[in-house]
Amino acid sequence: MARLLENDALRILVENKLPVPRFDYVDTPEEAKQVAENLNVPVVLKALAPVGKRGEPGALVFADEPEQAELNAKTLLSSSIEQYPVKKVLVREKVNTDQELYVSISIDQGLKCPVVMVSAAGGVDYQEIVLRNPEKIRSVHLNPYKGLPDFVAKEIWADLGLSGSVLRDATAILTRLYQVFCRYDCNMLEVNPLVITKDSKVRIISVDMVIDEAALFRHPELNHLVQMGHDSEYHRPLTALEKNIADVNEADPYRGAVMFMELSDGDIAFMCGGCGGSLLMLDTLLQYGGRPANFLALNGNPSERKVYGLAKVMLAQPGVKGLFVCAGIANDMQVDVVARGIARALQEEHKGCGFPVLVRLAGVNDQIGREIFTTAGVEYYGEEITMTMAAQKMADRMKQL
Amino acid sequence: MGILVDRDSRVGIAGIAGLDALAMVKDMKRYGTSVLAGIAPGRKGETLQEIPVYDTIRQAVEAHAINTMLIYVSPAVTLDAVRETLANDIKLLVIPTGNIPAHDMLKVIYEIRAVEARLIGPNTVGLIDPAARVKLGSIGGGSAERFFAPGCVGVISSNAGMTAETAYMVKKAGLGVSTAVNIGEGALIGTTARELLALFEKDPQTQAVILFCEQGLLAQDEIVEFIEQGGFSKPLIVALADRFAGCMPQKDGFGFQASSVGSCDHKCPMRLKRAGVYVAGKYDDIIYLLQELQGVKLNYSEKPI
Repeated sequence: MARLLENDALRILVENKLPVPRFDYVDTPEEAKQVAENLNVPVVLKALAPVGKRGEPGALVFADEPEQAELNAKTLLSSSIEQYPVKKVLVREKVNTDQELYVSISIDQGLKCPVVMVSAAGGVDYQEIVLRNPEKIRSVHLNPYKGLPDFVAKEIWADLGLSGSVLRDATAILTRLYQVFCRYDCNMLEVNPLVITKDSKVRIISVDMVIDEAALFRHPELNHLVQMGHDSEYHRPLTALEKNIADVNEADPYRGAVMFMELSDGDIAFMCGGCGGSLLMLDTLLQYGGRPANFLALNGNPSERKVYGLAKVMLAQPGVKGLFVCAGIANDMQVDVVARGIARALQEEHKGCGFPVLVRLAGVNDQIGREIFTTAGVEYYGEEITMTMAAQKMADRMKQL
Repeated sequence: MGILVDRDSRVGIAGIAGLDALAMVKDMKRYGTSVLAGIAPGRKGETLQEIPVYDTIRQAVEAHAINTMLIYVSPAVTLDAVRETLANDIKLLVIPTGNIPAHDMLKVIYEIRAVEARLIGPNTVGLIDPAARVKLGSIGGGSAERFFAPGCVGVISSNAGMTAETAYMVKKAGLGVSTAVNIGEGALIGTTARELLALFEKDPQTQAVILFCEQGLLAQDEIVEFIEQGGFSKPLIVALADRFAGCMPQKDGFGFQASSVGSCDHKCPMRLKRAGVYVAGKYDDIIYLLQELQGVKLNYSEKPI
């Protein structure tokens, strides 16, 4: 997931002529005070972290006076959100809200087209809107070539009860947001809330912008702005080990794609080809009482240097007492190349007797691979045993330690 | 028989000059696939892997009546290659390339639907028909015959690396494969598992189907509904990678919206079981389930020799 910090996302919206309250971002409490003084109105301070959730406890605070802004910024800058230490704080003009609206533009993975979802009940998590006020939601699926026509945007808001200048403004904002969604190759662009102010202006208050990693080549200006991280219910920053793996991967980006995750409380370093197979084998290892310490899904056709580098990092994880290499029958991955990389890493890390290494790889050049592994003292199997049997054997070897 | 390809598949490769494409084409030809033309702009007249190269798809179609196109160009130009293919009336496309921008894929899928063409992938090792000895993509590498026996079991895998493995489980059970297809990873793919089940239902050679999937990617409800509506009546075995799936980074999950948009569901496979699907508890259970099915539902005369 390539998520932008909110200050960067807001800046992009401003550049695209969308109405955003005056804001700045700071990394010290003193600057927060300065910004509040310059704005010369009550402000809102928000901790910046690449987390796509609203209302983190304590992440959003108000300040009527610059001194209060300084104090609050100090608190925010010493906190962390879902393990991300807060390094920057957004300071923006406080807006007098009359009504909160919600807009999200994303990709409907089932119907495989862009979808715009809008609600007249913003300001809370979308799931809450779905539960509490389903009648206040409108969604529209779009032709990726035709996009969002003005009249469709107008109809959506009119259906939700908007009229007058607010309807016209909200319509223009929605169509422009859709243009931003396309222009920057967003996976998701969410405005929550979009507010109608007491003096009937429509303003974007908070935005969450996620860029498609695969499209970053079209947006070199965003490359250094996006915040990479695991995005799941276990959302967290990369660990030191995971960063090391990422470095090895990026040093040789053109061959072999890597997904790596450090797990806790395990003793088996686990290298697999492909994500589905690795998930399956993690399940199977667990079923047989094995305890994976990490896993690395290696796709495509990696070079020897890459396999070697990855294996070195994995073997260096504290607590690792054995190595399991197991993949489905290879289409592209060359077993002999993998064998050379692993054999070299094992030798350099002095993993010999008492460090079980079990390999089950079959496919391209596996006869040569078998020789290399066997010479290196590795317990090697090809397709003569299934992946399940290999996992069982590995769990057994660990129990014998 | 089998689905999607047969001996009349006349194959062209867009992007033939890439290193991976060249290796792939070599294996495809050796397996028996009629790879008749390559496309690499500016290189007309060359011969690569004994295959004539053309500048445009139109030239290749005019010279060789190409009816099947592999598109192995870089992500940035894949959308254009798809348009060129469709403009030349080719209706079966396979895209091995991965990491194609999502917004481009939305357009690719829109164009494919508009002309009722069939796309396998992107990000796929392709498909194989062992009886016809046709393979499109790197599936099985250079030793496809070692792992894919011809027979009566259809194989669908959401995962590239597990496609040949799953087909090999069929061989271990003493059976063979009608067609094996890697549908590609992620949600924005041309053909889903359910759509392939519809094709396998109509194929007389296919008597059962195995589906391998990461649970988070399986559109379980869609498949269950399809079976309950009578869309697929043959035995279906599903092997899932599920326990760990819940804690994996979902590349295509969109924060809290994932629950209201899209095809991901993380429910246990009970609905599948109630719909009569055989769910393999361990991956090896595929072998035992197939062996049980042989006595019950599969026709022995269709077994490979």
